[in-house]
Amino acid sequence: MSLVDLMSMAKPNLETRDRVLSRLKTKELVNCYQCIKCTSGCTALKLLELKPHEIMKLVNLGFVDELPTSDIIWTCATCLKCVQRCPQKASPYHVIIALRNLAVEKEAKVPETYLKIVSQILETGLAEPPQKIVTKKMETVDRECLQLPKIKAPKESFQTAFMKAMEER
Amino acid sequence: MARIGVYVCHCGLNIAGVVDVTKVAEYAKTLPDVVTAKHYTYMCSEPGQRLIQDDIKADKLDRIVIATCSPRMHEETFRKAVAEAGLNPYLTEIVNLREHVSWAHTHEPEKATEKAKALVRMGVARARLLEPLQKRKVSVEKSVLILGGGIAGIQSSLDLANAGFKVYLVEKAPSIGGRMAQLDKTFPTLDCSACILTPKMVDVAKHKNITLMTNAEVTGVEGFVGNYNVTILKRPRYVDAKKCVGCEACTKVCPVKVPDKFNENLTERRAVYVYSAHAVPKIAIINPENCLRLKTKKDVCGKCQTVCEPKAINFEQQPESVQVKVGGIIAAVGSEVFDATRMAELGYGRFKNVISNMEFERISDASGPTKGKILTPKDGKTPKTIAFIQCVGSRDKRFHEYCCRVGCMVTLKQAILAREKIHEPVRIFICYIDMRAFGKGYDEFYRRARDMDIDFIAGIPSEIHGTPDGSLHFDVYDKGTNKLLEIHPDMIVLGTGLVPNKDLERISSLFHAARSADGFLLEAHPKLRPLESAVAGVFLAGACQGPKDIPDTVAQASGAAAKAIDLLSSGEIELEPLKAVVDKDLCSGCRICESICPFVAIEMKTEKVKGEERLRADVIEVVCQGCGACSSACPTGAIKIQQYNNKQVVTQVQAALNETCVEGGK
Repeated sequence: MSLVDLMSMAKPNLETRDRVLSRLKTKELVNCYQCIKCTSGCTALKLLELKPHEIMKLVNLGFVDELPTSDIIWTCATCLKCVQRCPQKASPYHVIIALRNLAVEKEAKVPETYLKIVSQILETGLAEPPQKIVTKKMETVDRECLQLPKIKAPKESFQTAFMKAMEER
Repeated sequence: MARIGVYVCHCGLNIAGVVDVTKVAEYAKTLPDVVTAKHYTYMCSEPGQRLIQDDIKADKLDRIVIATCSPRMHEETFRKAVAEAGLNPYLTEIVNLREHVSWAHTHEPEKATEKAKALVRMGVARARLLEPLQKRKVSVEKSVLILGGGIAGIQSSLDLANAGFKVYLVEKAPSIGGRMAQLDKTFPTLDCSACILTPKMVDVAKHKNITLMTNAEVTGVEGFVGNYNVTILKRPRYVDAKKCVGCEACTKVCPVKVPDKFNENLTERRAVYVYSAHAVPKIAIINPENCLRLKTKKDVCGKCQTVCEPKAINFEQQPESVQVKVGGIIAAVGSEVFDATRMAELGYGRFKNVISNMEFERISDASGPTKGKILTPKDGKTPKTIAFIQCVGSRDKRFHEYCCRVGCMVTLKQAILAREKIHEPVRIFICYIDMRAFGKGYDEFYRRARDMDIDFIAGIPSEIHGTPDGSLHFDVYDKGTNKLLEIHPDMIVLGTGLVPNKDLERISSLFHAARSADGFLLEAHPKLRPLESAVAGVFLAGACQGPKDIPDTVAQASGAAAKAIDLLSSGEIELEPLKAVVDKDLCSGCRICESICPFVAIEMKTEKVKGEERLRADVIEVVCQGCGACSSACPTGAIKIQQYNNKQVVTQVQAALNETCVEGGK
């Protein structure tokens, strides 16, 4: 191997890199020239230390082995600011999603919240469950007392389709 | 019986590295009528050319086939060599083994060799049918039209005028000077822009060989290289240029105030105004869209008329159309600055203290809105922190993919100017992606900025935030320290790049001059013919060909002038004989060729045949560019391109399809 990271003695894994790239619609999405605009504006950077430009560079160099198992890829808030602002029409967001899918494929540790969301979608068909809210008059109300119709559980065909889509990913 | 010589070029290893040139030469020998076939390292070199010339004499060759690089590269070289040996130069056929074979099929040497053989076979088949042609000479007009009076147009005009050529310099604005007139200092020497430009502007106005037309534009171009007829529309100034003394008394009484474009809309001017402090010609002009009297077409206001002592104001002036004959044209219409409002995240247009680098130039300029003091536009205070943000609109696939080539140096210069002009402590940040200081003395200039305690941050902010109290701030991640920094500048200068002039669309269609993918005018060859457009006699100078700084613009302008002198100095030019010709007996007068010709080279003429009037197409030879569109469209086959007639092309196709059909056309 012609390239070694002397800090961790890690070597690039071009095979995994190709698997990430194959998940992206165009190679343009990793074509980054490190202007750092994505990281400067990253919603997840201040609290969670997500540096999208670093992920782009690691993928480009082929240092991808640690990424699917690291927690950092799950910190992305998917606000899509990086996609919109990138002057090279690259997309750290799409790369991060590809890495997340790779993590699931490798059966790496997926944060519980995500698993919760998945099971919730399967059960209710909603990513966000109906919540109680507080009105201006400080009354707590829910759908029932507002006489809104009950949300029906999704059909079985939806669940099958959803599971199938997840497996295909 | 033709006597054909075939010459296969190695082009070093460019061709020979892939194609088996010995095999190709051996194969050529087996083709009918081929008397000799040879291969050599560089056919275009002096010994290579001599090889052909000696064979022409010794073997009495009458057709030459050269299998080498693209004809665009060396066809002319070989034609000259063949002519020197006494053969008509148009009896030469070029077979392209480099671009069409070795470069295209680098990894398949065997197949490439087979393709090379096939192409040589086709070339030989065609060569047999070539006919001798003669070049035609036409006289040329020893004058030049120059479009645009910026530094490029000024330099070209002066060079041509000093060489004794008549120059018509047409400028759209009321004064010449262009973008450079708006600048304060110039990198990398910090010369004052006006000090080096205004003497040249005055020289242009005074030169006996230059006819200067400001507030004018070219509306029509007809003719061909050496003999262009140009129509120029001189818009009315509503001020008599001969009477006006430039006292500016009128500008003080005019009641209409509008943003001043010369000061990048940072100040206001009147409806009647003098373009700038250094304007050439320094005479007033009334903008008919602003003036109350001209706008309403009623007998109102007229204050300027009452104060004007020389009685120069004339509301009755009409547009004037002027016709000039010129031999060559230089397009020097320059570029525009990127409109940063298109990049919403930077807040330009929403926040007053976020300015473009062109606005900074005006603020820094001694004749600008603040008389050269660096003050914030919103509150007129001296900034304590200034931030520059690079690559705004350039190197950005959403707007312009190219590098603007001036942004880095402009920002370094402006940072240095800010440091020198502000005597109180001020922090200066430059947020950049790559710092490109590539020219002579440019990296030294970068060093100078670093020595002046300017902070360079390798990173671009994602967005600029404004707070209700009017202050600005942004976050930027610095590559050097791996820290997310928050900066609160009092003024933010955007490194806006150069973009194609809006007029280029009209201008390119006026001259049939093509544009490249980036929107600028396209040069004939990116390396070897950067000063010419693909249209003969139309040259390019300055930023209309691509973003450029002043040194490059001046160099290109002088180069374009030299090219025009080269074209016109002898008083006549040779025209390629590869033109369309009409077989009058076959022409049915259907007018399809007339409608299809992109150069308007076909004229329909009525002729009397046996007492009957018949319509016939006729080719204006000097206008025809030999593109062949008419020939392929003609339903009766009456119109043909010399050297590419049906027989010659069909024979070549037959030779391509059938290895045994090498007799071709016999």
